[in-house]
Amino acid sequence: MIELHDISFSYMDAPALDHIDLDIEHGEALALIGPNGSGKSTLLKLLNGIVFPDAGTYRFDGGEITRARLKDQSFAKRFHQRIGFLFQNSDAQLFCTSVYDEVAFGPRQMCLDEDEVHRRVSNCLGLLEIETLASRTPYHLSGGEKRKVALSSVLALNPDVLVLDEPMNGLDPKTKHFLRSFLISMRTAGKTIVCATHDFEYVDGIFSRAAVFSSGHGIARIGAYAEIIGDRNFLRANNIV
Amino acid sequence: MPEWILRSEEYAPRTDADSFIDKSILSVLGALARIRNKAGDGARALGSAVHPALRLASSFLLILFVSLSRSIWFLAIVGTFELAVICLMSGARIARVLKTSLVASAFAFFIFLPSALWGNWPGVLMVAAKVLLSVGLASLVSTTTGWPAISQALSSFRLPDIFILVLDLALKYISLLGGLVLDMLYALKLRSVGRNHGKTASLSGIAGTVFLKSKDAAEEMYAAMECRGFSGTYRTAVRLDLSFFDFAFVLANTLIILSYFFLQEA
Repeated sequence: MIELHDISFSYMDAPALDHIDLDIEHGEALALIGPNGSGKSTLLKLLNGIVFPDAGTYRFDGGEITRARLKDQSFAKRFHQRIGFLFQNSDAQLFCTSVYDEVAFGPRQMCLDEDEVHRRVSNCLGLLEIETLASRTPYHLSGGEKRKVALSSVLALNPDVLVLDEPMNGLDPKTKHFLRSFLISMRTAGKTIVCATHDFEYVDGIFSRAAVFSSGHGIARIGAYAEIIGDRNFLRANNIV
Repeated sequence: MPEWILRSEEYAPRTDADSFIDKSILSVLGALARIRNKAGDGARALGSAVHPALRLASSFLLILFVSLSRSIWFLAIVGTFELAVICLMSGARIARVLKTSLVASAFAFFIFLPSALWGNWPGVLMVAAKVLLSVGLASLVSTTTGWPAISQALSSFRLPDIFILVLDLALKYISLLGGLVLDMLYALKLRSVGRNHGKTASLSGIAGTVFLKSKDAAEEMYAAMECRGFSGTYRTAVRLDLSFFDFAFVLANTLIILSYFFLQEA
């Protein structure tokens, strides 16, 4: 579903991704692991068409994603509907006046009728157990609640791929456990999950594979998640634990 | 699990006039890139080999004397000095300085063109040359001096420390809040998958969130400063380590300023 071939990307003179090769199958759950500043977040931005590679190709469902391709409005909107992005900073993702409107933003854009919008919003708020927040202002919620609202707002678009940038960051253990169960249920529902994470003790059972970034912005290893997490010497050598 | 989540979405997007999001992203990105480039720019280019306080003082004095001068020879000397400094910069910087100063000079020339048509060619050319040199000098400092260096230079001039603090904080928060605005615009773009009937509401939502965030950040910062003993005064210590380049620069500027008095007399 997602094919990255020999991708390189730099911010000005600072390299962020160095010759990345990565394939992600439909329905797969992949963890991106690596030290801070190794390029995980940049890769997630690239997957969402926020930044574009300096070299290499990115294919989504067979079609190449380029700056020129995303200038086609219909294609870009369909692409963004199919791949949802949860930002690391939830504040950046919430701009409506109430939680209900925040979650309804996407479905309303898709011109669904208001009954369907209401059904989707209720379902999403229910799945994330935040029905009681519907009328609250997103900005004044706690960190965990904001993360859940942001996730609901992405889920309401019913994307095929969920891209998550350190979703457990700054959450209390209870919310982390909740998110873990939620992501497992999303995987069971057939969603493809790509997630940058450091919280290994809270993500057991979510991922089938892991890609480990090195400090040099390349991929040091790709393999079964359990196998990589079990290899403490390798993780230590790559400044991950 | 709701059934709509289990199936793949059959969706044909409708087009919408939402290029304002891309334009906003580009303008915020451009502004942030300029600020961040300037912030980390200090140590490159020759101009930067000279202490920022000397660069700033030199520009200020030369602009003052250029504007007072009536001698075309003095302008030629300043022009030569300016070209000598510009020549030692990278191509991109040279282009930036020349573009800014030539555009400003051409603008001044066209404004005074009617006066030239009445026979005052020397005066008009003099004004255009002064604008060229003055804008060039200002642009030279702006291109070779990053924000931290400008702030450091202002401290050397004994400006009130609280002014320096406010300037530093303003620059820091323009960059931080600019990053937040950029992320919010990206989020808006990613979720703009169809027709948005409330475009102004989305943008005002972003503005509101950024305002609240800046208010919270200001309160948190003040609390953090109080916890570290801030009582309303802020001291900056500036070390004026002068190098060979600094002395050469001061000497060149002194000679240029002396030539002003000599050429005025002549």
